[in-house]
Amino acid sequence: MTRVAINAIGVVAPAPIAAVDRFDTSGLSARTAALVRDFNPRQFIAPMKMRRMNTLSRYAVSAAKLAIDDYGRELPAEMGVAIGTTFGPVQTSVDYMREYVEKGAALAPPQLFAESVANAPGSHIAIEWGLRGFNVTVTQRESSALAAAMYASSQIVKGSVRAAMIGGVEEVTEMVYSVLDRIGALDDTMSDGMVMGEGAAMLIAEASETAKYGFLAGFGISRDTTASISDWGSDPGAIVTAMRASLDDAELGVSDIDAVYASANGVRRADAVEAEAIRQLFGEVEVVKTKQIFGEYAAAGALQMVEALRSSHRNVLVSSVSAGGGIVCAVVTR
Amino acid sequence: MRKPDPNVRIAVTGAGIICAIGRNKAEVWRSIVESRDGIAKLTRFPGETFPTDIAAQVVDDLTPMLPMSRRDAKRMSRSDLLAVIAAREAIEQAGEASALPRGRAIVATGTSTGGLLEGEDYFFARLVRGRRRAPASRVLQQPTSAPSDAVARVFGLGGGVVSNATACASAGASIGMAADYLRSRHADVAVAGGSDALCRLTYSGFNVLQAVDPAPCSPFAAERKGITLGEGAAYLVLERWDDAVARGATILAELRGYGATCDAHHPTAPAEDGRGAEAAMRAALGADSVDYVNAHGTGTLLNDSAETKAIAAAVGMTIPVSSSKSYFGHTLGASGAVEAVITVMALREQIAPPTLRLGQPASDCTLDYIPHTPRPMPMKSALSNTFGFGGSNVSLLFALPERA
Repeated sequence: MTRVAINAIGVVAPAPIAAVDRFDTSGLSARTAALVRDFNPRQFIAPMKMRRMNTLSRYAVSAAKLAIDDYGRELPAEMGVAIGTTFGPVQTSVDYMREYVEKGAALAPPQLFAESVANAPGSHIAIEWGLRGFNVTVTQRESSALAAAMYASSQIVKGSVRAAMIGGVEEVTEMVYSVLDRIGALDDTMSDGMVMGEGAAMLIAEASETAKYGFLAGFGISRDTTASISDWGSDPGAIVTAMRASLDDAELGVSDIDAVYASANGVRRADAVEAEAIRQLFGEVEVVKTKQIFGEYAAAGALQMVEALRSSHRNVLVSSVSAGGGIVCAVVTR
Repeated sequence: MRKPDPNVRIAVTGAGIICAIGRNKAEVWRSIVESRDGIAKLTRFPGETFPTDIAAQVVDDLTPMLPMSRRDAKRMSRSDLLAVIAAREAIEQAGEASALPRGRAIVATGTSTGGLLEGEDYFFARLVRGRRRAPASRVLQQPTSAPSDAVARVFGLGGGVVSNATACASAGASIGMAADYLRSRHADVAVAGGSDALCRLTYSGFNVLQAVDPAPCSPFAAERKGITLGEGAAYLVLERWDDAVARGATILAELRGYGATCDAHHPTAPAEDGRGAEAAMRAALGADSVDYVNAHGTGTLLNDSAETKAIAAAVGMTIPVSSSKSYFGHTLGASGAVEAVITVMALREQIAPPTLRLGQPASDCTLDYIPHTPRPMPMKSALSNTFGFGGSNVSLLFALPERA
């Protein structure tokens, strides 16, 4: 059986949760986010290339560069790329539409249009390092990065590629922030609502019996059919189904898991459903809530995976429960 | 992680489509055999001025075709609604023999812009009314994952949702991904396809890139000047072969294989030698042969030239090739699914759709492109190509089901 080893990690992490200074939050009920701060992409990207990249691409390419440095040897040939993003290049679309309004539909800048596709970050990574395997950008709300990791892992065990750059990228934008605030999804205290996060995390996964950080051992997906199109569902059984499926895929049992890296993001009702699912399946188990540190959407969920890989736990289940009902779980082992 | 089992055969048991030439398979195929395109004056964005003014649009009012209440529909984007319409046709066809196990069905959708049309409406409303007053209900369906969520919600599918936003290669990637999850038994049924509604940003963006033909697109032709923008959605229902047989389902076709590669060349332009596309086609083919290629065939100078080289290298110069985009334009993130459904119908009907408006092929387009009129011909298998911004290439190989 082919094992999917994580042999390199690169992260452009958000700073601790603090007041948003990137845009005006007056009139909004939320004020805070976990933003990337003091980030200098010139450290990672040549100026000529950087000019062609939006913030999302800069985060992603910088994280990929850090991962490649961490890898420390020649990259395997024909690598795949699978990147998760929840909202993608919303800011670029907004910037484009501003130009569209000011200058007219015929005179908006083509460079902004080229960067308005959600797979621009993955494309830049492929071009920068000549990665000619599959190149997909996967998007499934809060589960985007885990869903991307699942596809890349399936391709490594299938033998389509020997290795892949996997991860996620997200940017906190005024547009998304204000809409989430408007519908009451944000809450600075996380007592009933989330705090937004951003950043990028890239991991090099490859077929290998040894791993620097750990293995992606199994995945499970399901959907809570009680969920509406844009809210969380109420059925813990659907979450148990995905958790159990990821354990079966990893050929591990419930008792093998030392900790659950939970999806919990502060949305009270959704967190309670997940907590009930964990209780039903595991009884007592250590539960780690990374989103209290990074916020929701940090690297589209990839930071949750990175934390699990860098923890001292032996076997970890990473859970991701999305608005709209989508659920992806991953098992990380040593 | 369980390996996608290469010995598991993937059956296509349902197909649904909506695009500028029809609201379902029957209407679409009638247009195909009558060589009737769906390209007309752009009417979706009254008051906007673009350098070109044609498009391949679906009718404005989709509500008569929807299986849910107006109230539910009101919360969804146009891309969501197109997805639901196409998915319904596919799911109903697959469920004719016996009920689909919906609890274990995943939805895999490709889209390039999702609900961006509604995002633009919100953007304009904010300019006028400010961010505290602009109505935000529909912009919630802007994320590119929304069409998958909408389809799963409307049809009660519980296997999981996963979406691809890999520009114009999105739907092809979703279909391949879904097939692998069936092979690895991460799901038992897949509703896999794509959806994209026309939006202002895309219409304007391809124009500023000067990639839009002011006249209806003419793929592979000497006078080709670019794409015609379209919209639409299509889905396939995929199952493991043995499950489909056990259920008594009619197997429309077999998804034999797929290939996914990247040019790693340029953010928007394809590699001129077509090497990435060729590699995707070779991966899809494996040891199989092919009788017809449904090309990506956008009508841009670069694509049609590079794709011609790729096809010639992968399958030779004699296999007939055509671009269905000459009928319904470039449906962007949906194109991989829309053209997959066309490819499956071509196999079933044993008629290869033509490339319309192909007067004089370009000097760098040297294949048999089936000009003007459909060509009845024996076909056992056919490739469907779909490439996108970022250099992503996906090729799908479909075959007629072997009779036992």
